[in-house]
Amino acid sequence: MEADELLVRVAGGDQKAFEELYGLVSGPVFGLVRRVVRDPAQSEEVAQEVLLELWRSAGRFDPGRGSALSWILTLAHRRAVDRVRSARAATEREQREGMRAHHPAFDQVAEEVEAGLEREWVRHCLERLTSLQRQSVTLAYYDGYTYREVAEQLSLPLGTVKTRMRDGLTRLRECLGGVA
Amino acid sequence: MSLFGRQSKRDLHSLAAPYALDALEPHERARFEKHLRTCDRCTAEVRALSEDAVRLAWSTAAPAPLAMRDRVLAAVRNTPQEASPLGAAPPRPHHLPAHVWGTEPPPPRRRAPRMRPLFAPLATATAAAALVVASLFAVQATRTQDQLDTARAQSREIANILAAPDARATNERDARGRGIGVIASAKEGRAIVTLSGLGDLPSGRVHQLWLMRPDVQPRSLGLFQGDTPLVTSGMNDDATSLAVTVEPNGGSAQPTSQPIAQLALKSVGFGE
Ligand SMILES: [Zn+2]
Repeated sequence: MEADELLVRVAGGDQKAFEELYGLVSGPVFGLVRRVVRDPAQSEEVAQEVLLELWRSAGRFDPGRGSALSWILTLAHRRAVDRVRSARAATEREQREGMRAHHPAFDQVAEEVEAGLEREWVRHCLERLTSLQRQSVTLAYYDGYTYREVAEQLSLPLGTVKTRMRDGLTRLRECLGGVA
Repeated sequence: MSLFGRQSKRDLHSLAAPYALDALEPHERARFEKHLRTCDRCTAEVRALSEDAVRLAWSTAAPAPLAMRDRVLAAVRNTPQEASPLGAAPPRPHHLPAHVWGTEPPPPRRRAPRMRPLFAPLATATAAAALVVASLFAVQATRTQDQLDTARAQSREIANILAAPDARATNERDARGRGIGVIASAKEGRAIVTLSGLGDLPSGRVHQLWLMRPDVQPRSLGLFQGDTPLVTSGMNDDATSLAVTVEPNGGSAQPTSQPIAQLALKSVGFGE
């Protein structure tokens, strides 16, 4: 059964369908959350919340507006970004107060799983973007920065960053292929 | 952004991409979502860009900790669902009540957890994410050691194709869910081809891959072994499509049946 059908059943309170849906989406959800949040313990917490939220809010899914997988990953990304921003704000507060930040700096995600070809292909396509397109997209999507923060980091006007984000995503679509 | 912090309509239209990437601040997000209710243009743009953004997610998939499954399923048993979406949905609390995750040990399993191939989800996901590589990737988890050795030998070739500057991907899926995908470098005449949803073959039959060119007989590019991707080279740059047929073991010199899957190659740079 595909995720769309499962999610509709989950909305009807079907716990077996949820178990099956969990098997389908827990890997993508956890991986995405960990990519953004980085801290393993916090990642697990956020991923759990997302998966439970799927159970609670499955009724909000509207099949007419896109695929279930895209809805689920959009939700996971939103929650991950919310978490990483509040963690960043807390770190800044601590630093202002002269405390040492207690969040370990994970500059590389621990225990990388060999997402092998899949990862390689996305990387291949990201490399096809201009450097500014790529940085605008990845700083936002993978690192959870707002476009204002991205503009600051890249020393670009806000309008330019918005355009680079749009062009970057569009070009990525062309490269990744599969658009019928 | 104007001096007074109010954004003009024109500014709002430009927020579709940052919105799709979750790169708006909360107040902007709220404003833009309000705008979306009345702006068809932005709604359409957000939908397309969000699908693109989600593709970035697929490459990050990683197996979730095993203990997480027990915790989530236990929580599901104890958590009521929201009322029907037709009514006003209650606001979502930012953090779930602490008791949900609890510190109690998970209940004993009634049966061994079904072992799913690690990345099988991605195979299913291709329907939505439509990534050729997702299916490439999916089959790896289910292989035996022998197949893995073959795969390893293949993987160098695959890596070479992926690294080709002109490498591009496309795929096709028919109404019955039968799919064929390709990552190809037209310049080098090489490709990785994957099949999905073709179902089990009767014994003594194989899937054979054919290269179709204008005014020329189909040429065999090889036989598929199970769900392993086929790596092929020597593809002519005037090729128009790939076709898959079911043939007797060992393959045929020419197709003996109608193709069960076909894929045009123009979008990956052939026939140009
Ligand atoms: Zn608009």
